Amino acid sequence: MVFGKRGSLLMENLVFIILNLIFLTLLVLFLLRQGEGAVVLEQAYAKEIALLVDSAKPGTTMLLNIEKGKKLAEKNNVDVEDIIKIDSNSVIVKLSEKGGYSYSFFNDVDVSAYPDTTDPQNIKDYVIKINNYQNE
Amino acid sequence: MNNKGSDKILSIYWFAILVLVAGGIFMMTISFYNHPYDVREIEAEIIINNIADCLSQNGELNSELFNATGFSEDFRTNFLAKCHLNFEAGEGEEGQYYSEISFYNAGDLNSLAYEITGGNKNLAASCSIQNEKEYKREAICVEKTFFSLNGENLYLIKILSAIGKAEKNVR
Repeated sequence: MVFGKRGSLLMENLVFIILNLIFLTLLVLFLLRQGEGAVVLEQAYAKEIALLVDSAKPGTTMLLNIEKGKKLAEKNNVDVEDIIKIDSNSVIVKLSEKGGYSYSFFNDVDVSAYPDTTDPQNIKDYVIKINNYQNE
Repeated sequence: MNNKGSDKILSIYWFAILVLVAGGIFMMTISFYNHPYDVREIEAEIIINNIADCLSQNGELNSELFNATGFSEDFRTNFLAKCHLNFEAGEGEEGQYYSEISFYNAGDLNSLAYEITGGNKNLAASCSIQNEKEYKREAICVEKTFFSLNGENLYLIKILSAIGKAEKNVR
C-alpha cells in the first residue's frame, strides 16, 4: 500500500494512540484485578464480620453482601455454605480451596452464619445472627 | 535533525516515561495490597464502648459495681464475664487484648478510687511508645474517659484498651 506524506503521518499517530490505549487498559485491568484477589477479599470479609460481631448485641441479625466473594468462591470450587464459618470466637472466610483467613472477636456471644436462601437460585447475602451471650 | 527523526526520539522518550509510570504504579499497588488492613484501633474503640455500656447506663454506674461497703471485689474478679468479653487466646498463644479501667472521685482526680484490669498485661507496656513509627508492630492503645454517677457521687472513669494482633494487622 502506498501512503502519501499526510497518510503516513496519520498512520504513525494512530499507532501511537492505539499503543497508548493498550498500555492504559492493561494498567487499569491490573489495578482492578489486584483488589479482587481471594487473599484481599478473605481478609476484608473476616475483619468486617469480626468488627460487626464485636459491636453487636444479642438478637441482632445482619445481612452481608457477598456477591464479589461468591463469584470468586464459585470460580475456585468452594461451596457458598463454606464461605463463612464461625469457630468459637473466630471468623473464618474461605474463597479458595487452599486459602482461608481467620480473625478473632472478643464479644462473648454465640454467632451463626449461613447463606440467605430467600432466593436459592441467586444467593447474594450471608446472614450473621447474634444469638445470645455465652455466659449468661 | 529532521522532523521525522525528532518525532521518533520523542515517542521513545514517551514510552520510557510510560514504563516508568507503570513501574511506579505496579510497585505502589503491590506494596498497598501486601499490607494487611489495620483494624486494631477500631477494635480498641469497640472494646471501650462495650465496657462503658457495661459499667454505666443512662449516666448511672452499674449497681453490680458496688456492695454494702463500697466497690465490689466480685465485679473486679469476674469483670470479663460480667461484661461479656472473651479475651482468651488459643492454646499456646499469648493474649491479644488488655483493658484497664480506673475510677476517680470527681472531687479528687489525683487519687485512684478503684481499678479493674483484664487480659494480657504485657500489652500495656506498648502504650507509651506506640506513636513512634519503629514500634508500630507493638500493641495499639486507645484511652477514653467519661463521667458517671453513683447516687450523689460523681466519678471520672478512664478506660484504656490495648490490642496486640500485630501479625494479622501489620507487616
